[in-house]
Amino acid sequence: MDSHKPTTPPHWQARLALGFEQRNGKTVLAERRQLGPLTVQRAFYPEGGLAHLYILHPPGGVVGGDELDIQVRCAPASEALLTTPAAGKFYRSNGLAAKQSIGLEIADGASMEWLPQETLLFSAAQADLRLQVELGPHARFIGWDMVCLGMPECGESFRQGSALLRVRINRQGQPLLVENLQADHEFAQAVWGLRGNAVLGAMYAYPFPLSAMDAVRELWDNQTGFAATLLDGLLVCRGIAPQAAELRTEFERVWRLIRPVVIGREACPPRIWAT
Amino acid sequence: MPTDLALLRLLQLVSPGLPVGMYSYSQGMEQAVDNGWIKDEAQTRDWLSGLLRQGLAQVDAPLLARLYNAWARGDDAAVRQWSAELMAMRETAELRAEDRQTGLALARLLAGLGVERAKPWLRHPQASYATVFALAAVEWEIPLAPAIAGYLWSWLENQSLCAVKLVPLGQLAGQRLLQGLALEIPALVEMALSLPENEIGTRTFAVALASSRHERQYSRLFRS
Repeated sequence: MDSHKPTTPPHWQARLALGFEQRNGKTVLAERRQLGPLTVQRAFYPEGGLAHLYILHPPGGVVGGDELDIQVRCAPASEALLTTPAAGKFYRSNGLAAKQSIGLEIADGASMEWLPQETLLFSAAQADLRLQVELGPHARFIGWDMVCLGMPECGESFRQGSALLRVRINRQGQPLLVENLQADHEFAQAVWGLRGNAVLGAMYAYPFPLSAMDAVRELWDNQTGFAATLLDGLLVCRGIAPQAAELRTEFERVWRLIRPVVIGREACPPRIWAT
Repeated sequence: MPTDLALLRLLQLVSPGLPVGMYSYSQGMEQAVDNGWIKDEAQTRDWLSGLLRQGLAQVDAPLLARLYNAWARGDDAAVRQWSAELMAMRETAELRAEDRQTGLALARLLAGLGVERAKPWLRHPQASYATVFALAAVEWEIPLAPAIAGYLWSWLENQSLCAVKLVPLGQLAGQRLLQGLALEIPALVEMALSLPENEIGTRTFAVALASSRHERQYSRLFRS
């Protein structure tokens, strides 16, 4: 390491590419390529053949100019649950945007659960966050995305921050849901935006039957900040809240409710969630 | 506008009397009123201004421009692609159903008026209202910028009628909303015409929440 303090910090370029395959009734991590400070723990199996995997980002946060790229592929009939042990943190920008790009590909008959901890965007952060999901025929998927604008616990607003939040979910190459949302202070405050809340989130599940919609909606009969809709077989739950913990609690309730319907298994929360 | 006939065709296309059933959709406003989010004229204006700027001008208008150009050069693949993209950007089941129902109704009307290119869209699940509106504008030789302005205007007129019924507001208040919010439309049309593809997208998150919850509202007048 250079002993001189650099005038601009070095930019991390971190890439992680993972591939799951089904072998003898068990899903194994058959492919793992990594560049920079993104890594995974060994997969473990608390519920039979379905692999639980934690993605780690040891630096703990990203600054302007950093790029995180995570690509996960589930080969036919494989089953995986992915989560992260800590919230993703985006610090104050030095003028450049920090980028995070997540690509999930779920092949024929495979299932993937993408359940990371929330993303914290510090005040004056600039972030470009993308999530792209490719659903193959008979693919099953549950995913969520929770973003906190500023640090409401510390009374810090998102007054100077800005984030692009992009989601694209394709079914056999055709767009099923496209979102492209610019989050800033105006958005957080507006009556048409977050209505003064700091946290927004969305949860997706596919394929989801119309017959199971009422049970999801009943969770939120009296909460105007949470809602569910069914878009051509894709369940989309959205929520706004003053703090991330509230959103997290609600989405975990949904996950427990819908996992048997979508994945065909009872909820088996990753151990790391309890710590 | 180049001819008076184009103006008259535009007036026909954006008339509340056009038989596509637009009056039966509130696009989440009925639920927003029920939530207590819209109680008076000022709150109605904030809500509609937000939807117009952050929703319609960011999604419908730029995609309407792309659809118009695709129809004008006879590029069916591009019409299908932008229609699919528009439908995927509709955030709730009710908003998608509304777009499919009004798009189909307009396609039926155009087919009845002898527009051959409307016929293949009578059974197309991605025949959004903007898809078929763009076709009408091209067939009737309405220039692009006035076509977009007319699309935004007809949305605004329908929403202000919803507000008069739902909030409720007096007729004069409804006209004041139209008078004030129409001022925003020319600049929004200009912006939409140059909006890059990767910036197309809505951020009216509260509308998505209200519209989703409307699907379960107990007693309702509107279909969205």
